[in-house]
Amino acid sequence: MSVLVAENLTKIYGSKNGIQHKALHQFQLTVEKGEFLGIMGPSGSGKTTLLNLLSTIDNPTSGKVKINDETITSLSKNKLAKFRRKEMGFIFQDYNLLDTLTIGENILLPLTLQGEKVKVMEKKLVIVTKQLGIDTIINKRTYEVSGGQMQRAAIARAIIHDPTVIFADEPTGNLDSKASLQVMESLGTLQQTHETTTVMVTHDPFAASFCGRVIFIKDGKLFNEIHRGDNRQSFFQDILNVQSLLGGNMDDFQTIRI
Amino acid sequence: MTFKQFAFNNVKRNTRQYLSYFLSCMFAVTVFFMYAVIVFHPDIQNAEFRDVVQRGILLTEAIIYGFSFLFVLFSTGSFIKSRKKQYGLLTTLGISKSQLNRMLILENTIIGITSIVAGLLLGALLTKLFLMIFSQILGLDQILPFYLSLKAIGITSLLFFIMFEVNSLAVVWTLRTNSIMEVFRGAKGPKKTPKFSWILSLLAIGLIGAGYYLAYISTVVTIFLYMLPILILVIPGTYFLFSQFSIAFIALLKRKKRFYLHKLNLLTISDLSHKLKDNARILFIVTILSAVALTSSGVLYGLFQGVEAEAKRFVPQDATLISKGNSKIDKLEKEINFVESSFKEKDIAFQSNLIRTTQAQMQSENENWNLVWAQIYSYSDYKAIANLHGRNVSFEIDDGEMVISKQEFALPDDNKPPKKLTIKSKNESATLHTKVAKLELNQNIYTTFDIVVSDSIFKQFVQSAASNEVYYNYAMEIPKWKTHADDIEQIFANVDREIAYPDSQPEYYLRMKEGLSYLFFFGIFISVLFFLAAGSILYFRMYQDMDKDLHHYHSIYRIGITDKEMKKIATRQLGFLFFIPFIVAVVHASFAFKALQNMIASSVILPSVMSVSVFFVIHLMNFIFIRNVYTAKLKKVM
Repeated sequence: MSVLVAENLTKIYGSKNGIQHKALHQFQLTVEKGEFLGIMGPSGSGKTTLLNLLSTIDNPTSGKVKINDETITSLSKNKLAKFRRKEMGFIFQDYNLLDTLTIGENILLPLTLQGEKVKVMEKKLVIVTKQLGIDTIINKRTYEVSGGQMQRAAIARAIIHDPTVIFADEPTGNLDSKASLQVMESLGTLQQTHETTTVMVTHDPFAASFCGRVIFIKDGKLFNEIHRGDNRQSFFQDILNVQSLLGGNMDDFQTIRI
Repeated sequence: MTFKQFAFNNVKRNTRQYLSYFLSCMFAVTVFFMYAVIVFHPDIQNAEFRDVVQRGILLTEAIIYGFSFLFVLFSTGSFIKSRKKQYGLLTTLGISKSQLNRMLILENTIIGITSIVAGLLLGALLTKLFLMIFSQILGLDQILPFYLSLKAIGITSLLFFIMFEVNSLAVVWTLRTNSIMEVFRGAKGPKKTPKFSWILSLLAIGLIGAGYYLAYISTVVTIFLYMLPILILVIPGTYFLFSQFSIAFIALLKRKKRFYLHKLNLLTISDLSHKLKDNARILFIVTILSAVALTSSGVLYGLFQGVEAEAKRFVPQDATLISKGNSKIDKLEKEINFVESSFKEKDIAFQSNLIRTTQAQMQSENENWNLVWAQIYSYSDYKAIANLHGRNVSFEIDDGEMVISKQEFALPDDNKPPKKLTIKSKNESATLHTKVAKLELNQNIYTTFDIVVSDSIFKQFVQSAASNEVYYNYAMEIPKWKTHADDIEQIFANVDREIAYPDSQPEYYLRMKEGLSYLFFFGIFISVLFFLAAGSILYFRMYQDMDKDLHHYHSIYRIGITDKEMKKIATRQLGFLFFIPFIVAVVHASFAFKALQNMIASSVILPSVMSVSVFFVIHLMNFIFIRNVYTAKLKKVM
């Protein structure tokens, strides 16, 4: 069953009369329920645009996005905001945690906005923070914990309200390799146990190797698509191979680390 | 793009940001200019005008100028500091410190000149109206003609130009351009949990409570004693109220999980506690400014409205003539004839009577009551006077008693005479039991107290009185004195004071009204200025934090928050920041009104409610304007 469907998604930047830039051209995508999809591509390939369109933060110039058979591209701004906080979870490169709240309060935010009961909230908080190994820091403030912990808190926030889809934008972009490993392992196991459909944009082949399927974009079009077998190590190698095929900006390649 | 154009564009493209600042400066220029027009008005300069008015205007000008100076200093400072990030960028591009200073000074000069010109134009438009009000309040015979003196224009623009330049120099001079790294990181620094101390929080409540108590129990005599302690209690109390108590209160709210974790409360409250802590000093200043504005305008308005009641209180009889000694009796009759015929001529209805009184000296072991002169009335004469004024006499009196007038403006102890007092005239003396009652008689210049005794005692005294111990009291009841106040004052002004000492309500009423109208005229404008400044300070502060807030709201937006909810959160937070100081100021002011109520006869409720409502409307409009600007800005990141 497909949860997320994009049909003929096109995004053009720039004014009608000025210089136009096609960031995304007639893009098709289907994501199955419980799938962990990675989106890769060089800078300017349109991967972040794609994620923003799928996650309704930005509007497409033409085309449709359907989530659970509901066409969300035709919803009003207000409905979108409500849809977003109910059906979607977000993980950002900059964590996007509010520094006026404690870690625990940050994680609870989606539930609070929905008007959930305090007891239910506290129960869920305990479960999800234990799974992510951050149950000891829920009363700390954002400046008292490490980047990896903040990102795991962001994952907890993204998943606590059982969303239909989780969108992750470069979740390891600000982290060192050790924290990256922890975050990706947490995200991977949590995604499997909750069977939450997850879409992740990344530069990092290492992070991408946790996905079940990785698509590559170049110049706003689909370039290639590879599936993971049983072995993460060989999948990682496959990703590197496609990347070198892809060319593009060499700056994008991260140093190989295992 | 030349350097000048760069500075000019900086201002032009930040119009919105500068608007409130510009309007406040403009208003200050306008008010200053209108008073300056009066100072340099030829009719006023030539007229034999009272010194009070001239000095009042000059004092007002000084206050406006001094206050504008501080206000511009503060707002320029906060504006310049809010753009630190831009300076960081310019510094990386290689702007030198002197160029940066030149740019800032140029920008401020542009704003300064624009607001001076706009203020003068607005002032010119409003001058006619202002002159009309001025003439009306000061009771000038004719309205001062419209006149724009070059001197007024010159002095206003010169003084304000100097002010803008000095201020921008001062701000630029003290501006620290930190290392570029710091500037870029600047606003992103982590926010620590606001701390507070329970002791100081409770102290805040205690201090304010004690101040309120003193204000509540103060009387017309003690208020001058209590004034300073009240200020010393309330001002630090207010400061701790914002810096400690408010944070403590929010910490308590946070403990109520069911409330705190309910929908938007989480975002509103957690952010509010930081905002309160960051802005504690500003909120404190705003509260004090508003409280001063509210109190002074309410008190002035209350006094102004209560003049008639005060006249009745200080001069209980409508009009009296008191003459001392038998020798002047013929001349007194002539004066009375003159007064009565003048009244008839002007067609002013009145009733009158003439009684005889005498004097005696009190003797007692209590020093306060020894060797004090008193005027002696007989019971039936006192009754006649009371009847004349349409009042009833509430006490009876027998031969062993006397009734002593209650002093309204004395310490409570002074109203407790010894149980027995001896009164002694030249040839007569008597020792009587004392009673205290409110005797509604006009004061006179010869004696301190009024005493009423029984008719037979009075007879003893008056029959043995020496010629110069006898008084003749002529009293008038004038039902419509208020409409004829000017005429009555004129008539009594012509009474020969050597023969009879006149005292009348119209006279007191006119004198009070005149004095208060000056105060009112100068006070109200300053109050409004203070109040507008308080609003603007909040606005600047909000602008300073704009970048941080934009970041904050963008974060929430990505998680999913509707426009409506964003507006709700922003409105609530701004609402708290705006109306908490206002409410505290209103409570402060209402205790000041209570103290005023203890001093004056007429009710201050209506005037105080009126002035608070007027300020509330101004504040509300200010709030709505600022909220709209703020949410419009926030919407851009959503």
